[in-house]
Amino acid sequence: MKRMLLDIQLFAHHKGQGSTSNGRDSIGRRLGAKASDGEFVTSGSIIYRQRGTKIHPGTNVRRGNDDTLYSTVDGIVKFERLGRDKKKASVYPVE
Amino acid sequence: MIKVNVIRNDNKIDTITIKGHAMYDDYGKDIVCSSASSILITTINGILTINENYIKYTVLEDLVTIKVITDDSICLKLLENMLMLFSELSEKYPKNIKLM
Repeated sequence: MKRMLLDIQLFAHHKGQGSTSNGRDSIGRRLGAKASDGEFVTSGSIIYRQRGTKIHPGTNVRRGNDDTLYSTVDGIVKFERLGRDKKKASVYPVE
Repeated sequence: MIKVNVIRNDNKIDTITIKGHAMYDDYGKDIVCSSASSILITTINGILTINENYIKYTVLEDLVTIKVITDDSICLKLLENMLMLFSELSEKYPKNIKLM
């Protein structure tokens, strides 16, 4: 009889079928800008979807409870600086 | 779970079957499988070194069968020693190896 080769995983799972507990991911939430700078929007339009305040609400813009920014008037969207390192979105009515 | 089954004739080992997977961890990290494999292979190769006509063995997927075909007191001791080691291993890892 032939000697056995030393396979120290002889009684392990089948080769290469190690189970993994990874491999799950959630569906993309399509965050980001929904209206661009200089674009005309109507009252209630969503301007920016975000988690937290990447962009802060500016003039005539409010923040929903999921941090979404939306316009409160009809007008033109403006992305502006807020302080040293922040940004805000505003909507200015068309005269 | 690895299941070790021993068939004896007149209290002497006749056939040993070792079946299953240890399922302690993934392939490459399963220390219980590694010890059981090493105990088995060391014993079989040791026996074949001493007396290559003492046993016949087969290895199929996850079933190893050892059949004793002659008499040899030293080789018999090696087989008994293997069973003792499996027994000690199953005391420490009862969920992964068991003597039937």
